[in-house]
Amino acid sequence: MSSWDLFWRNANTFLSKAFLAPPYLWFLGLIPIIVLLYLLKLRRTQVVIASTILWAKTLEDLTANAPFQKLRKNLLLLLQIIIALLVALALSRPFLKMQGTAGQNLCLLIDHSASMQSKEVEKTRLDLAKDRALELVDAMQRGDKMMVVTFAENSDVLSELTEDRSRLRRAIMSIQATDTGTKLRDAFFVAHSLRLTVPDLHSVVISDGNIADLADIGPRVFDNQRQVADQSTEARSRGYDLSFLQVGESTNNVGITALSEREPVPGESGDRQALVALRNSGTEKAAVTVTLAFNEQPIAVEGVEIEPGTDQELVFKHGELGEGILEAELDNDDALAVDNHAWLSLRPAAKLRVLLVADPAATGTYFLQRVLTPDPRVELSTIAPANFAPTSDYDLTIFYDFAPNAGQPSANATAAAAPASQLPAGTLVFIKALPPLEGMVSEGTIDNPPIVSTDAEHPLMRFNLNPANVGVHSAVKATLPQGARPVVSTSGGTLIADVSRGGQQIVWIAFDHAESDWPLNLSFPLFFQNVLAWVPRSALASETSIDAGRPLTLIAKPEVTTATISTPDGRSEQVQLDPLRPVFYSNTQRAGVYTVELGDVQERYAVNLLDPTETAIKPSDALAIGRGEFAAERGQVRQNRELWRVLLAVALCVLAVEWWVFSRRAWM
Amino acid sequence: MSQEAIASQSLLTAEFLARLDRLALMARKTQLGMTKGERKSKRRGSSVEFADYRDYVQGDDLRHVDWNIYGRLESLYLKLFHEQEDLTVHLLLDASRSMGFGSPAKIDLATKMAAAIGYIGLVGYDRVSAESFADGMTHRLAPCRGRAHAGKLLTFLSNVHADGRTSLEDSTKSYILRNRAKGVAVLFSDFLDPEGYEGCLRRLLQSGSDCYAVHVLSREEIDPPIAGDLKLLDSEYAMHVEVSASPSLLKRYKKNLEGFCESIRQYCLARGIGYIFAPSDESLERLTLDALRRGGMFK
Repeated sequence: MSSWDLFWRNANTFLSKAFLAPPYLWFLGLIPIIVLLYLLKLRRTQVVIASTILWAKTLEDLTANAPFQKLRKNLLLLLQIIIALLVALALSRPFLKMQGTAGQNLCLLIDHSASMQSKEVEKTRLDLAKDRALELVDAMQRGDKMMVVTFAENSDVLSELTEDRSRLRRAIMSIQATDTGTKLRDAFFVAHSLRLTVPDLHSVVISDGNIADLADIGPRVFDNQRQVADQSTEARSRGYDLSFLQVGESTNNVGITALSEREPVPGESGDRQALVALRNSGTEKAAVTVTLAFNEQPIAVEGVEIEPGTDQELVFKHGELGEGILEAELDNDDALAVDNHAWLSLRPAAKLRVLLVADPAATGTYFLQRVLTPDPRVELSTIAPANFAPTSDYDLTIFYDFAPNAGQPSANATAAAAPASQLPAGTLVFIKALPPLEGMVSEGTIDNPPIVSTDAEHPLMRFNLNPANVGVHSAVKATLPQGARPVVSTSGGTLIADVSRGGQQIVWIAFDHAESDWPLNLSFPLFFQNVLAWVPRSALASETSIDAGRPLTLIAKPEVTTATISTPDGRSEQVQLDPLRPVFYSNTQRAGVYTVELGDVQERYAVNLLDPTETAIKPSDALAIGRGEFAAERGQVRQNRELWRVLLAVALCVLAVEWWVFSRRAWM
Repeated sequence: MSQEAIASQSLLTAEFLARLDRLALMARKTQLGMTKGERKSKRRGSSVEFADYRDYVQGDDLRHVDWNIYGRLESLYLKLFHEQEDLTVHLLLDASRSMGFGSPAKIDLATKMAAAIGYIGLVGYDRVSAESFADGMTHRLAPCRGRAHAGKLLTFLSNVHADGRTSLEDSTKSYILRNRAKGVAVLFSDFLDPEGYEGCLRRLLQSGSDCYAVHVLSREEIDPPIAGDLKLLDSEYAMHVEVSASPSLLKRYKKNLEGFCESIRQYCLARGIGYIFAPSDESLERLTLDALRRGGMFK
């Protein structure tokens, strides 16, 4: 890099710290133009005088250093240069970091994630954050507005923009700590979107700065800004009016960052293994004792010393434990307690109950059985269409060449529309049969339909599934119901469509796979793997631990209408279930074991923090959002105060003086 | 010619002329005159004012022998008396274009002052000679004497117009060569000559006359009323200066002007030339009856 490039880069960096629109500084080029105009000015009033001898003598020393001596002590020129300077500076929008928030609309973004539970000298960080927020409320002046948004795993608007201080205080005081990770993005965009209607909204992030998703925010800001205003993204990001109010000082913490349990590694001894990952995010070496317990009965204890800033993994070997809760516990007394515990819910993997309604002798049935049977998760039952009766016992029902209430359809027949409520529960797949859905009408057949496009975003098309070279003999052409999503399309029709409705997942395959070479293609088994993964219960079946703040998926038999959930802090909640679709329980901000009672079935779920970002409690000195970096402020909130109004006012005053000087010929 | 008739020339008022009647020109040194007059001359002659004795030589007029001395000393001595002759007043007017500037114009004041001095001279039975000059143009008034020529003098002065370039030294030199009579020489000028004022005054001194320099400047030159960005054009020469008027520039100009006037004054003082500074807007009475009088020109 040449020295000129280096100089240019340094200059840009410097200017960007003082001006929001440095390109306007090019207007300073007006000053030499004004000077040049003065020098070249020809329009002098000609006056005949008796003799120029004395004047010539007077000007002798002035003209000695011509031409610039002409400019000396020329008040008008000086004033015009000052005006040009002030206008150029005003256009480049200089700003100063000034203390105080008076006279502005504020959006408080308060962090209440797990790391905010860190103990400081007397209070937790969250308490300090609340104190700072209350100070800001106290500092509000008449006409100022404020809103309160909390963020952790999820974001909540506790108070919209209001002048009501008591309401703001109540909102701030009501903030509770959570055991979740920190994601600023949603809260940030709440404030960001509000800036469209409240341009002077100043955002204040009160946090320890340990935020996991900062990198996700920047690009979105730029995209939005590009839509909002036709300005360079760089300029707009610099102009983002945000302060980062840092709370907390403590750094010493050791926490559990991972807990897992697995089958023995082939070739090793027959014991199962539990793995506990620890991290010492402090500045001193820490000696901790890890206790592993199963159903509250200790099964292993191990002491370990961890160097500062390093991770340590412990492997505990144990025998078959069966169903229950595996808990790891650290015995140390550090700043953050919530990451000293972790739980795993050990239970046998749930089986997916799959019903195949098809003629057992059909070739297509054979292919489907060959695809589904090898999967250990699948419990496959096959019945003939004649024996089919709607039931809710299956997670997945595949209809091959048959649709309920429609008899044995022919390719040209119009399927009798059946109310969706008469369909069996769970996920449904219709092959070569038209789902009895309203708005789905057969329009004939398409011979040798080529595969034109696929919807790569759909979950059924995971693993870059590409059936483009599959040859199909003929397919049913049908109008799709409203809201349907074509997954694989041919020219003038759809071959595979997601026709889900009312929360029930329904897939329609418009052709007979037995009359195509699809079963011989790799995409065939992959497609049905995707179908199995798409079934809601399959996702649940493998979960042994859920991140705090993420929802629990509740699926029960249709006869069970209510779930009772017991939370780690002793509360109990009733949740209404839906027979057709999964219900999500999102009140999982506390880490621990959640017990869900679904009728006579009781399931236990482990909700954990297990977040290295939260375990590293050392406060961050800056928030890097996009290309902007917002330094932490520990004292009073400081914000960018733009100076262009002052500069323009001064420029106007100077302009008035300039006019007065010109008209009165004062000091000339 | 009566005072009223003279006043009708509109150069001087009748009242002012009446006051001038009471004044008489003074010559600071005795000069040789051209004809018999009322001024003491260096020549020995027939006045009543005793001058000296000398030995009698044959052929001398016996009427001039001092017989009282002869009675005491028995030697013949001749009694000598001062001759009384006239005084020549030279009025030299710079009539270059620059003298036409000012409000009132510098040339107006110069002609009026010249008229006053000339009138006093004529009334005192002195020879008055006047000449206005500029580069290439010279107007002369032949020497005249006696109140009867006052009208002629004033008419001449009334017709003086400022035009042409300044060439003080050449004009003065030319005048001196043509007018050998010594007397009182008064030069009216603004001395704004690119070649300087020294040569002209030196020539004037060489004439042997009792010299006066009347430095006429207009108020516009003393306190220029200019503002803004100006191109100042010289009235006589193809010269110009560009100025952006500012208080400091005006201050510098005035300082220069003061230095210019002071240098002329010092030059004159060192050489026995009477120096009178005459702003064109100053009253004629004050200048004539006060300034010139205090300068020793009148009594």
